[in-house]
Amino acid sequence: MEVTYKVYRKDPEKDGKPGRANYAVDLLEGATVLDGLLKIRDEMDSSLAFRASCLRGNCGDCMVRINGGSRLTCVARVSAFTQKGPEISLDPLRNVPVIKDLVFDWDAFMWNKIKAIKPWLEAQEASSNGENIIPDAELKEVRKVMSCYHCGMCDEGCTVLPVDFHFLGPAALTKAYRFVFDPRDKETKERFKTLEGPKGIWDCVHCYEADEHCPRNLEPTKRIVALRDRAFQLGITNEKVARHHNSFAASVKESGWLDEGRLAVESEGLTNISGLMKLLPIAAKALMKGKAPIPYMHSKRPDADKIKKIFEKAEREEK
Amino acid sequence: MKYAFYPGCVSRGGCPELYPSAVKVADKLGIELDELKSVGCTGAGVLPQNITDPINARTFAKAEQLGLPIMTICSTCTGVMAQANYRLKEDPNYRDKINREFLADEGLEYKGTTEVKHLLWVLFEDYGIERLQTLIRRPLKGLKVSPFYGCYLRRPPEAITPTKELNRRKAYLDELIGILGAEMADISGKGKCCGFPILSANEENSLAMVAKHTGESKEKGADFMVTPCPLCHLNLDGNQARAEAQTGKEIDLPILHLPQFVGLALGFDPSEMNLKRHIVSTTDVESKVNMIS
Repeated sequence: MEVTYKVYRKDPEKDGKPGRANYAVDLLEGATVLDGLLKIRDEMDSSLAFRASCLRGNCGDCMVRINGGSRLTCVARVSAFTQKGPEISLDPLRNVPVIKDLVFDWDAFMWNKIKAIKPWLEAQEASSNGENIIPDAELKEVRKVMSCYHCGMCDEGCTVLPVDFHFLGPAALTKAYRFVFDPRDKETKERFKTLEGPKGIWDCVHCYEADEHCPRNLEPTKRIVALRDRAFQLGITNEKVARHHNSFAASVKESGWLDEGRLAVESEGLTNISGLMKLLPIAAKALMKGKAPIPYMHSKRPDADKIKKIFEKAEREEK
Repeated sequence: MKYAFYPGCVSRGGCPELYPSAVKVADKLGIELDELKSVGCTGAGVLPQNITDPINARTFAKAEQLGLPIMTICSTCTGVMAQANYRLKEDPNYRDKINREFLADEGLEYKGTTEVKHLLWVLFEDYGIERLQTLIRRPLKGLKVSPFYGCYLRRPPEAITPTKELNRRKAYLDELIGILGAEMADISGKGKCCGFPILSANEENSLAMVAKHTGESKEKGADFMVTPCPLCHLNLDGNQARAEAQTGKEIDLPILHLPQFVGLALGFDPSEMNLKRHIVSTTDVESKVNMIS
């Protein structure tokens, strides 16, 4: 089968301007997208730059966008992308610095972020017999996450990274989960200082896009949600987020449901005059439209006392 | 056709136009609603699961007692409850533990039979599109509409689209736009997050998402965007002016709730759907709708 590869090109040693080159490649049925790239480089244009390593879908090195979606070229069959016509487009990931052609800056994209979460175990002191024995069940989820091969597809699917490239992203946060939930690690509080800081767990919108993109079904979003729940249990240290969560919790605990007006002012902070002033234009507009919930003028749900009882019991159990 | 109605906090709080519009539309369609009044907030993905799973299990048990499936009008309520319900149905030991520790005091037990459905799913899966079509009095011809689902109505798959057949849920809103006679102005971020969950933690990123989605919709020539999620509405409508100020680009895109959109096609006057309560002016939409009738 003959397929036209429409490949993103950018060469910093020439003019550095992005462009696209077309290559008509003759391939066997069942060929992978990488087979075509190798053929182009070997037989047609040796200047084409792309990455590949394991050639069997285990290392993630060859990730690019095929027809707009992120894929590993070594396991992506050409036939799966040519159903609408005999051509495919290949691009580097979105929002990453491109080094040359399909080769982008993996350090900026992912490795620097993984380094930032301190990706090694800080083990507790060994017991007197020199061993720390961990029941197998306690490591089950951690072990699952340890099988991540850092292909970065979760980061490519992330909703936040396109608007903020400095967000730590699901790959690094999933790595952080691996250590926070490892019973041998003693650095939980230290780790949460980084994780609750700017660009950390609270910047995640928990939209579950990352889970849909993960080729190993490691559920990165669920790992981030677990980190957030753990932070809530330990006491949130990010002041702004703590105000928001504590107000939300107090409102549900006291009335059974959410007092949105109260949440708006308490999230800013009752003594944060500039923050509250910022709310004024929005509140004024909403008032004019008859839709501003008045803080603390919130009726209790019937059975609010029963909901409170459940809430408090669950809180006691987590401690 | 009857449901245990879970309207959610926002439909009477930050978006008070939503609750009455939904009730009027349900009434017109002949969908009977038995409102669950003595149940708690879902937690909205803010509170941790160990607290919200028992509170949601209580809601499911109440609906189970009525023998009714739950209907919501909020993607976030649907998503959080569907995820909790998945955990409770999937793991009988976990359900037993929640029943024993949290619900038994009240004499309640959740047996794991309650279904949670958004109005959007009810229209396609229970009510039937053919039946809906017979009630359309004002096909919304000439209006261009962008869909915006609210990410909790799209994922995670085990709770939201558990079978191949139910994977269609990802396209219901797209389909509905055509069914109601309007034209689709498709946008790349229709299944992404609106930014509302991080409005407090990172306002700049949140507003950037508002600008991205509404800006793209406007560029595609949409008259308005429709969403089944009032939290998306709060951000996309309520914070659109701030998103404009942040990006320095005028957008001015009205955002309609799902029941308002359906209601207009059923023949309700825009005033009956409370469009005037939106922050972004809906005057142009109302004029176009009135010209159709």
